[in-house]
Amino acid sequence: MKPSDFNLELVIGRVLRTGVLASSACLLLGLLLTPVWPEPARWWLNAGILLLLLTPAARVVVSFAEYVMIRDWFFTAATGIVLLELLAGAVAALLFHRRI
Amino acid sequence: MTSGLALIIFTAGAAAGGLGAILGLGGGVFLVPLLNLGLGFPISVAAAVSLATVIATSSAVTAGKAGKHLMNFRFGMLLEVATAAGSVLGGITAQMLAQRTLQILFGVVTGAVALATVSRVNKRNVIQDATVDPGVLGGRFMDDETGQMVVYRIKRLPLALGASFVAGNVSSLLGIGGGVIKVPVLNAWCGMPLRAAAATSAFMIGVTATGGAVVYYGNGQLHPTAAAAAILGVQLGSWAGLRVSSRLRVKHLKLLLALVLAVVGILMFVRGIR
Repeated sequence: MKPSDFNLELVIGRVLRTGVLASSACLLLGLLLTPVWPEPARWWLNAGILLLLLTPAARVVVSFAEYVMIRDWFFTAATGIVLLELLAGAVAALLFHRRI
Repeated sequence: MTSGLALIIFTAGAAAGGLGAILGLGGGVFLVPLLNLGLGFPISVAAAVSLATVIATSSAVTAGKAGKHLMNFRFGMLLEVATAAGSVLGGITAQMLAQRTLQILFGVVTGAVALATVSRVNKRNVIQDATVDPGVLGGRFMDDETGQMVVYRIKRLPLALGASFVAGNVSSLLGIGGGVIKVPVLNAWCGMPLRAAAATSAFMIGVTATGGAVVYYGNGQLHPTAAAAAILGVQLGSWAGLRVSSRLRVKHLKLLLALVLAVVGILMFVRGIR
C-alpha cells in the first residue's frame, strides 16, 4: 500500500464518521420533536436522511479528488463512474418523485 | 406515525442490529421481515428503511476500521462500479415488481445463504506466503488471530465484478447489504481471505445501498420517522452486539445464523406464495 492510500483511508474515515454523527443527531432531534412540534420535526428528519444519503457519496467524491491529484487515471475513472451511477439514481429518484 | 410505533421500530432495529453484529452480517436480513411480516409495512418500505440502516452501519464500521489495512479500499472502489450499477437498477426494478415476487425472492436468497453457511461451518482460511507480491488490487494485513502478516492477490476479477453486480441488485431489491453474496464469492474464488472480504464488503455496501435508497426516497418509500427510529436502533444494537460477540464460539454462531436465516427465509417464502 502506498502512503497516499493510507492518508486517503484516514480522510475517508473522518468523512464517514462526521456524516453518520451529523445525520444521527438530526434524526434523533427529529424523533424527539415529532410528538411536540411536528413541522420542524419533519424538517430535521428529512435533513438527517439526506445527510445519510450524501455521506457515502461524499466518500466517493473525496476518493475521486485524491485519485485525480495523484494522477491515478484508472481509479479516477472507476470512482468517476460510481459517481455517475449514484447521480443516475438521483435522477431516477427525481423522476419518480415528480410522478407522485 | 405514533411515538409508540416509532419505539417498536427502534426496538426492532436494535434487535436486528444486535443479531446482525453477533452473527457478522448486516441487520437487514432480519429487519426487513420484522418490518414487513411483523409490523405490516409494504416490502418496498421495509427494504427502503433497511437500506438506510445499511448505509449508517457501513459508514460507522468503515470509519472505525479505517487505517487498519483490513479493508481493501482500491479493490472495493473498483467493485463499487458494479455494485452501484446493480443497486440503482434494483431500486428501479423494485418499483415494478409485486410484493409477493419480492417476498419469494427474499425467501429463496436467505434460504440459499443458510445452506451455504452450513456447508462452510468447518472451513478455515489458508494463510498465504507473506512474500507474495499483492499486485495493484491485492492487499496485506496483520491477522490478529495468528499474529502473522497475510498477503493475497486478487484472482478472477470479472467474476468478482459479476458477483458484485448481482449483490448490488439483490441488495436494493430486498433491502439487505449484499455481503451475503459477495463475501463467499470473493473468499472462495477470488483469492481474498475471509476477514478481508468481509471488511471490504462492509466498506462497499454504504455506496451500494445509497444507489437503491435514493430511488426509494424519491418515490416516497423511505419513511423518515420509521427510518430514523430504525437507524438509531440498529446503531445501538450493533454496538451492543459487537461487545457480546467476542465471547461466543464461531461454530455455534454459524449454526445459529443458518437456523435463523432458514426460519426467516421460510416465513417470507410462505407469505409470498400464499
